[in-house]
Amino acid sequence: MSMIYDMNLNPQKISKIPKMNPHESHTGASPANPLIPKRGIITKITTETPDVKTFSITGADGTKPFTPQPGQLGMLSLPPYGEAMFSVTAQNDTHIDMAIKAVGSLTNALHAVEEGQECGIRGPYGNGFPLDFCHGKDLIFIAGGIGHAPVRSLIRHCVEHRTDYGKLTVVYGARSYADLVFKDDLFDNWPKVDNMDIHVTIDRPEDGWQGHVGFVPSYPEELALPPSVSIVCGPPIMIKFALQALTKMGFKPNEVITTMEMRMKCGIGKCGRCNIGSCFVCLDGPVFTQEQLNAMPPEY
Amino acid sequence: MKTIAKTQIDSILKALAVPYNLYIPVAGAFTQTPGREGLENASQFRLYQEGLPLHWTTNTCLSPKDLLFPQTEEMYTIVSHGKTVEIQEKAIGHKPTILFGIRSCDIESIDCMDRVFLEKGFEDTYYKTRRPRTILFALSCTTHEDTCFCTSMGVNPQSSPSADVQISDLGDTFSFTAQTLGGEQALAYVDALLSEIIGTGPSGALKTQTPDTLKTPEELKEIALSNAADSTLSSAADSTLSSSSADSPLSSAADSTLNAAADNAGNKTSAASPLPTDPMIITVNSDGVSEKLENMFEHPLWDEINLPCLGCGACTYVCPTCYCFDINDKTLSHTTINKQRCWDSCMFSDYTRMAGGHNPRPSKKERVRNRFLDKLLYNRQRHGRLFCVGCGRCVAKCPVNLEIATVIQKIQAAEVTPS
Repeated sequence: MSMIYDMNLNPQKISKIPKMNPHESHTGASPANPLIPKRGIITKITTETPDVKTFSITGADGTKPFTPQPGQLGMLSLPPYGEAMFSVTAQNDTHIDMAIKAVGSLTNALHAVEEGQECGIRGPYGNGFPLDFCHGKDLIFIAGGIGHAPVRSLIRHCVEHRTDYGKLTVVYGARSYADLVFKDDLFDNWPKVDNMDIHVTIDRPEDGWQGHVGFVPSYPEELALPPSVSIVCGPPIMIKFALQALTKMGFKPNEVITTMEMRMKCGIGKCGRCNIGSCFVCLDGPVFTQEQLNAMPPEY
Repeated sequence: MKTIAKTQIDSILKALAVPYNLYIPVAGAFTQTPGREGLENASQFRLYQEGLPLHWTTNTCLSPKDLLFPQTEEMYTIVSHGKTVEIQEKAIGHKPTILFGIRSCDIESIDCMDRVFLEKGFEDTYYKTRRPRTILFALSCTTHEDTCFCTSMGVNPQSSPSADVQISDLGDTFSFTAQTLGGEQALAYVDALLSEIIGTGPSGALKTQTPDTLKTPEELKEIALSNAADSTLSSAADSTLSSSSADSPLSSAADSTLNAAADNAGNKTSAASPLPTDPMIITVNSDGVSEKLENMFEHPLWDEINLPCLGCGACTYVCPTCYCFDINDKTLSHTTINKQRCWDSCMFSDYTRMAGGHNPRPSKKERVRNRFLDKLLYNRQRHGRLFCVGCGRCVAKCPVNLEIATVIQKIQAAEVTPS
């Protein structure tokens, strides 16, 4: 994160004010107001866990409402409950997917709707994952709980463009087997992909669970994963301990990539609340490297 | 330089109010609401109407930011029936507008707003619609309030080079100097009402320095007159060379104005002339404050200064550079919602609280720290300047005196171990 700035107290006035005749009245709406949502339709609802559902959202014209890069965000609204930012977990020509955990008033209302419900949708927002940086490299994905949602968009991208990337390793965990999201991918689809390892863990032992038991942050060390580019997402406390563990294992700060979450209202870097230091998560993020986070105040 | 007697100012306002939405600083009024008589309404910018009591002596209690960034802006209507949702965008109507009599500090705050809403990725549609259609008439200060500290923040209270028109208070008269094409076009509507003095005007003479003390109207007038004299000399020289009539020497009308101005300058007992002013009471050293704050995120200063804060948000409400907003619903019926954006405040606990309860700034300490770091460090990094213009509104309004001037002084006095 560049911390270099103009030392002059009275820098040049910006020249961005559009040049136009100030004596010309303006009426009517602007064609591209980024704060106005488009009408969308929730065409499919998939129950992932007891409190996570995936919503497939199609635009009013039958195609996907927008084309996000892996890791980018969309603002979904359901009247009269409001609007919130979610990461796009997958997309195809007809829809985008958002995996949403029921935690607040909007998300609980979303969990109560049926297929065919219309909604508001705007985006894409944020920077997305650095695809060029990841190109040709071995990638380790480390995710906990609903943190799988943003990471999944990149995993899917890598699987779809399998030859562009090196070895893919997924380390994923949740509180229990029931809380694991995207089980089809974890247990059926991805294990069949060439040169791709899947490691799943749950927090506590459970009847019938044959896999690993333990928390996500310590699992990569137990697996003795060699340092490479890693993508980390999960609850703030998981991210914190995972980053510490990766640092200890010799992962380079500029190769550890994570996505942050903050409360957002506008999504376009104006409304102010999602700042971490001088960065806005909705615009400059949500994807940051550990190197960038180290230069930012620890306030997330 | 064009001037008009202060007593005639209403003729200018009346003429400008025809082609423009004209906003003027209006004095606080006393309400007549039964049971609340005597409560003061804040002085603020209002749409011109004949007879509104003008507020000329000092800055308005409320900043004019709401004219570019309304406190509440209706964005769109959502109508939902069963599973269907319909979204109707609201039209943004904006007539050419003049903000008349803005002080230098608030002109600087508009520069801050320009950077937020027109830079860094997305442009804000609402602001981008209003801003180029808004003409700024800056008014020089000849006195200051006890709470003013603009000179400490690098603002010249008597000159705003980025304004469209600079109005200077010359005692009994106001001078008008157009500084942009938009300003010239606006002044053309009132040209017949103004008297001409040939000269570059006081703003040209003052713009290179930040005065420690404000110039009195008499001093401003002397500068104006000497500029006028210089200009007369040079235009006389020009005319001997080119013998062109384009660079006309003083007209007789301007001549008489000059003489009248000179008479006024000698008339120290004139009731209309403000008294010569003292240096500002609050002075702070803002040099290097951003650089120092880079190593102060964990400083114990924040544990101390947040203690009196009530979290009322008055500072953010009156601050001319505070731009945060919320997007929320105004429910019209069980099927219809107006989506609107409203000013918000980073001092409120739910500002950053996420669904599920996690709050990255859970207590007053983090919120107070974020506000001052935002003003003095983050916006410097993001937008290239401090987001305090020294208007002193938070100094005047904070109920517990937790205001930015004192905080800057405490930051400058703090001991920091280099990281």
